[in-house]
Amino acid sequence: MKEKIEKLLETKRKIELGGGEKRIEKQHSQGKLTARERINLLLDEGSFIEIDAFVTHRCTNFGMENTEANADGVVTGYGTVDGRLVFVYAQDFTVLGGSLGEMHANKICKVQEMALKMGAPIVGINDSGGARIQEGVDALSGYGKIFYNNTKASGVIPQITAIMGPCAGGAVYSPALTDFIFMVDGISRMFITGPQVIKTVTGEDVSQEDLGGANTHNRISGVAHFMDKSEEDCIKRIRTLLSYLPSNNLENPPAYQSEDDINRMEEKLNELVPVNPNKPYDMKEIIKLIADNNEFFEIQEYYAQNIITGFIRLNGKTVGVVANQPKVLAGCLDINASDKAGRFIRTCDAFNIPLLNLVDVPGFLPGTDQEYGGIIRHGAKMLYAFSEATVPKVTLIIRKAYGGAYLAMCSKDLGADQVFAWPGAEIAVMGPDGAANIIFKNDIKNSENPMETRQEKIEEYRNTIANPYIAASRGFVDDVIVPGITRPRLISAFDMLESKRETSPAKKHGNIPV
Amino acid sequence: MRKFIVNVNGKQYEVEVEEVASNTTSTTNPTPIVQNKPKIEQVSPQPKAEPKAEPKPQEEKKEVRVSEGAEVVTAPMPGTILNINVKEGETVKEGHLLIILEAMKMENEILAPRDGRVASVAVAKGASVNTGDQLVVLE
Repeated sequence: MKEKIEKLLETKRKIELGGGEKRIEKQHSQGKLTARERINLLLDEGSFIEIDAFVTHRCTNFGMENTEANADGVVTGYGTVDGRLVFVYAQDFTVLGGSLGEMHANKICKVQEMALKMGAPIVGINDSGGARIQEGVDALSGYGKIFYNNTKASGVIPQITAIMGPCAGGAVYSPALTDFIFMVDGISRMFITGPQVIKTVTGEDVSQEDLGGANTHNRISGVAHFMDKSEEDCIKRIRTLLSYLPSNNLENPPAYQSEDDINRMEEKLNELVPVNPNKPYDMKEIIKLIADNNEFFEIQEYYAQNIITGFIRLNGKTVGVVANQPKVLAGCLDINASDKAGRFIRTCDAFNIPLLNLVDVPGFLPGTDQEYGGIIRHGAKMLYAFSEATVPKVTLIIRKAYGGAYLAMCSKDLGADQVFAWPGAEIAVMGPDGAANIIFKNDIKNSENPMETRQEKIEEYRNTIANPYIAASRGFVDDVIVPGITRPRLISAFDMLESKRETSPAKKHGNIPV
Repeated sequence: MRKFIVNVNGKQYEVEVEEVASNTTSTTNPTPIVQNKPKIEQVSPQPKAEPKAEPKPQEEKKEVRVSEGAEVVTAPMPGTILNINVKEGETVKEGHLLIILEAMKMENEILAPRDGRVASVAVAKGASVNTGDQLVVLE
């Protein structure tokens, strides 16, 4: 028996070395960790339990019968993050370049299915050269099964993907189907077709980094949600993200004991927004002043910066924030902002995370590129997502709230449970300048001094219409509040809404304008 | 004169076409069918001697000329230049206020995307700009 135990331990040691010391060294020299190092960093110390370590490929084509592949190039299993169960898989680039074959895919599918059954989040760490070409259609089928599982699990358990190496071709679609994508600057690469193919087909010269690096996908394409300087920082951030999310769609996000006073007044809020509605300010300051410990966990920080999305805690509980950013593009809604917000709202709704909407929006961004790009179709996603969401929805109108954009930021009519406004709020169909031009067209035209009359009429409009009290008199705004008491009022509102139950009509699924 | 973008064999040409009023008795019929003709006529002398791939490198060169070591700050949306806060030759740090662009009733601050020297300011105070128009070139 002793011999057999020895043999077992020996085999395990060998498997744990993956592609061997030389390749591990190479991985390290590129600033990359190995699959097992990544998993150990992600999970609580000593909590990782590996499954399917003995699995290996059964391909006999092209000399593959003599090729050894420890764990078939992917490490799978489970463990805990902050004591909560999490399933994990990490592709091992040191084994056949992390290439995905039939058994490799089967291992991933197994943990996906386990995560779904157990109702626990799954974190995938991608570092793979792509499909194992020798395995042909078996490899392709592997990808297909993973996509299918991703989709089945979508909205049931949080699915998180970290790209820590190449991820090209069809492989990109598994991350794309998950809830959050993490990338590491200089290490992650994601693209459907690589630079060489692009060069042959279109003649464009583009580097891998420019085409599919962390910067590209965080700033331009909006494919990724997070960008970090190192793998260690990235993994730390995944752990933080998990702390905001429930384990599955039937649970609430974990609540923590808040060290921050729930009745904290914030005098600064009374001064922060410029009186002149043409002056920008940083909305993130407001978010931080409201949040527990001034902490804001931003999502898609670098993409469509005219809208801000992310998590805060109020009284220790996760709240999803959707906020206009007056500092960027005047805080207008545009195609990218609508997509970003629409997705985030649905993520929150799927995982029982209440929504806080901070409104300072002048309207939708005008322009032919926006209209041709389908702003109607994209903007509709926000309306749809907000209307569809059954989690508690609280809207706070900070300054401007005009036209369709006011509705798109979750007005009372889209089902906001509570709508507050600060005294400086301007809620109207359009801004005073434009409105005065239309309503008082004749007065202005017939005036002896049209410029002066116009200014007078703009003021008249601002005083009579563009304020929060008309909306409040109709009940579209539940209360106009002093900015300084925002935090206690929001906490009270979410507390009151905690038992909210709302059911939608039975249907297969809605038809969001994607 | 009206400007058109015309695609010929995948190549893009910008052509100017003069519109003739429909009730004049000119020999060139001002019907839409004929409108196409001048376009082609104007276009054809250009690419005559050019081999198929040549226009592309030309376009690329243009882009490279601007961006070689330099970064162009462009207008994020249509609006009016309210103020220019830098001069040519000035060195700026990332986040430095370059220009205030009034758009959507907001004084939008256009900030330096990185450290550098202002190589040129492409707009004047009071100018109207469109999305993508050059504002400042940073070196």
